[in-house]
Amino acid sequence: MQDYSHSSDKELNSNLLRDVLGTPKWWWSAFGMLFLIWITGMGAYGWELNQGIGVLGVNRPVYWGFFITNFVFWIGISHAGIMVSAILRLTQAEWRRPVTRAAEVLTLFSLIAALTNILFHVGRPWRLYWITPYDFERGIWPNIRSPFVWDPAAVGTYLIGSSLFVFVALIPDMAAARDRASGFRRKMYAVLCLGFRGTPKQWKLQGVAGILLSALVLPVFVSVHSIVSWDFAVSIGVEGWHSTIFAPYFIIGAIHSGVSAVAMVMVLMVWLWKWDKYITKDHFDAIGRLLIIVATTWFFFFALEWIFALYTLESAEIALREWQVFRTPMGPLFLVFLITAFFIPVPAWLFKRVRRSHMGMFITTFLVNIGMWLERFLIIVPGLARRQPLEFDWGSYAPSIVEILLVASTFAFVSMGILLFAKIFPLIPIFDMKEGVRLRDEIQIGRRSVPASIRE
Amino acid sequence: MSDTKQQPLGFYADNPNWTSSSAITDDLIARHQTKHRLFKVVIGSLGIGVILGIIGLILRLVDGVSDTAQWGYTAAVIAFLLTTASSAPMVAIAPRIAKGHWRRIISRPAEMWSVAGLVTLLLFIPMLWVLPSLEDGRRSLWFYHPGEVFAYSPHLWTTLSILGLVVLGFILLWVSAMPDLAILRDRAEDGSVLKKRYSWLARNWTGTTQDWIWQKHRLGIIGALYFLMLITVHFLFSVDFLMTLVPGWIDALYPATHAANSLQAATATMILTMFVLRTFCGYKEIGKVQFWSLGKLMFALSLLWFWFWFSSFNIYWYGKKPNEQQVMELFIHGPYMPIFYATFILVFVVPLFTMIWNFLRRSIWGPTLIAISVLIGIFLDRIRVYVAAYSVSDQSSSFHGIDVIPPTVYPDVADVFIVIGAITASILLYVLLTRVVPIINIWEQKELLLYKLHKKYHRATVMVLGKPD
Repeated sequence: MQDYSHSSDKELNSNLLRDVLGTPKWWWSAFGMLFLIWITGMGAYGWELNQGIGVLGVNRPVYWGFFITNFVFWIGISHAGIMVSAILRLTQAEWRRPVTRAAEVLTLFSLIAALTNILFHVGRPWRLYWITPYDFERGIWPNIRSPFVWDPAAVGTYLIGSSLFVFVALIPDMAAARDRASGFRRKMYAVLCLGFRGTPKQWKLQGVAGILLSALVLPVFVSVHSIVSWDFAVSIGVEGWHSTIFAPYFIIGAIHSGVSAVAMVMVLMVWLWKWDKYITKDHFDAIGRLLIIVATTWFFFFALEWIFALYTLESAEIALREWQVFRTPMGPLFLVFLITAFFIPVPAWLFKRVRRSHMGMFITTFLVNIGMWLERFLIIVPGLARRQPLEFDWGSYAPSIVEILLVASTFAFVSMGILLFAKIFPLIPIFDMKEGVRLRDEIQIGRRSVPASIRE
Repeated sequence: MSDTKQQPLGFYADNPNWTSSSAITDDLIARHQTKHRLFKVVIGSLGIGVILGIIGLILRLVDGVSDTAQWGYTAAVIAFLLTTASSAPMVAIAPRIAKGHWRRIISRPAEMWSVAGLVTLLLFIPMLWVLPSLEDGRRSLWFYHPGEVFAYSPHLWTTLSILGLVVLGFILLWVSAMPDLAILRDRAEDGSVLKKRYSWLARNWTGTTQDWIWQKHRLGIIGALYFLMLITVHFLFSVDFLMTLVPGWIDALYPATHAANSLQAATATMILTMFVLRTFCGYKEIGKVQFWSLGKLMFALSLLWFWFWFSSFNIYWYGKKPNEQQVMELFIHGPYMPIFYATFILVFVVPLFTMIWNFLRRSIWGPTLIAISVLIGIFLDRIRVYVAAYSVSDQSSSFHGIDVIPPTVYPDVADVFIVIGAITASILLYVLLTRVVPIINIWEQKELLLYKLHKKYHRATVMVLGKPD
């Protein structure tokens, strides 16, 4: 397979801007299909707004169902961008270059999708501004001790930070697009690239901004999912939730599902945009190795969570775990979750052949995301559905068609967002690739040529 | 293309004399075989510490093993050794997997710390009698049920895991050192003791392609196994020999916290080792890049320390169940509050606000002073949790909490001697091992010579580093 290391700047510009300045044939049909799913979901949301949240399956005592599961899932996926982009950038991993932008864009749309789930979930979304301390006259203040108040602050900061992260990394590419576009597009890129001309000073600032944003956004990324986990863990009323391990467990689970989602997007980039010259099998190999470490660490935390649930020796906690594993419908779901999140993908990734296969990586990472969605469901719903002492009303939970349609719409929204982004901006960072070409070298050892990179 | 102009000993500290494979071998073997004039003084001083430790252990054993409170400091120093010395090989294993070239000069010093596992193992033996069997009714990882579960399961499994870690540590060192041992074998006089010793240690290593492929695979596998065993040891020791002694202490994160702390302590141990090797043993090849790289890691790990600690603290603070409040009283705002604050400052605040500055990370003294701060902090932290937990009077009186918060247990002479003895014994074994195995990995320096070159890039001279698949 030929890689991009000998490509000229001109070649990189024309190949990577090809589908930005033009439109591939498949794009409209893919976008149209996703739009249809999304608009159906929005129709369902309109129905929910009109009828009230009674049309949802959530009810006493299961107040949190598909939407909160989906919220946690998308927050998890959003960690991919930072994981792949910021950490790999700080550690100077060369293989990151073609995949960082797609990962960052995935972060952006996942975060928006996560936030829409909160809108779907609340009865009166127009009062969402109540979480901000606005009402000085009435003296009503949000309870700042509540993680529900920390949540919007953390997610909002993350959204701003990651948008900035994407934007700053886009500046040189938008300048390249400006120089090749015409009409309205040229004007748009000219405004967005903030007068970037590629002077040494601008490149220096670009580099410093990238490093600083990478370092600054990392603590935010940790705080976001920690706080999401504390939505559950600070409560003592629901079995299975009050555990100290939740914050790291949620983070590592988020990285597991997020990096898997990035691998899926990478495969789609190869399949749809035919970028196999840029995203080579070495990239899949590298992300496969990373996933083995991430998945194993996640499994360690999963095991700790379970061991210490049983260690409590509290009958209610043990009854909940028994229900999760051995009773229908949770038991079969639990089995599917474990098999798809760990027992199929990790052994498969141990084989180089699977790691270097597009289909192999797509299937395994797709399975991980099914498993990780179920994991969140199995954390949230069973604890709520178990009958508590002195409970005056008790029922179980089954999602309504409205919830299913809205969940499906979030998946369509994220996919549609990435497609739309790729139509306006290059999905592979051109300037990063050019830098990679310049820093790339080879060292001859005997008859073998070893890939090398220049270090300052 | 390549520029052969030699670089001065600077940030990357390339030795200008290491221009060929044989020059590296000659230089490092010569340095290995030269005995420092202070060697005997160091051995003698450390020997005194070891004797004190033995006296302390005898004094402690004379008092018996029935009172767990008396053994808190011994448990703390075992945990400290597990956290520092036994974890130090990770500083060689992790960058080797990530193909970080900067590790090459420090991978052997890191692997050699596995020798301290022997001290841990020896000190651990009396603890087998100190820890009661599960028949006392305390909570345990093994869900004790008379007749169905072995009442000494914690003792059995923790012993096996520590033994496994020590054995794996030695295997890692041995496999990694094999090419260097083969050089020593080939250079020893025929018929001498050294020849026999190194012939046995180097096995049949001749440096064939097959030998090198096998060594690479073995190092990868043993490294991964060492990491898994290290996590297992931290998990078992921090639960069976700590958490189960405090009724009501249910913290699913703590075993992971114990293990994560060990990564920070291992980094600190290696920074201090590098400083000693560079300053007192003349290994100027350990350059600022090593201090810089480990300084960055230290910064990240201090943040990790805070995050793990806060994740537990926050849940307990919010939960405010009676057992959670008792645990907080015991470990944080009760008798050990000053130690908690000292730990917090030394392990988190000091590294965070110093290692954030690049100019401090790129110095020799900056990371070294921070490493000392972290090691003191980690030691205090181990005292805080282990001494407090071992002083809880009746572990089995209630499943739900501590009846009475015990007062601070101060160390007596035996405790001080045991702590001094354990630490000096570990250092003594390390120093003695340097007489057998070259402290700088020779083959890794020679390999780096192949993967590194300097070349002109426009007007600058840059370094090109190869990264093989």
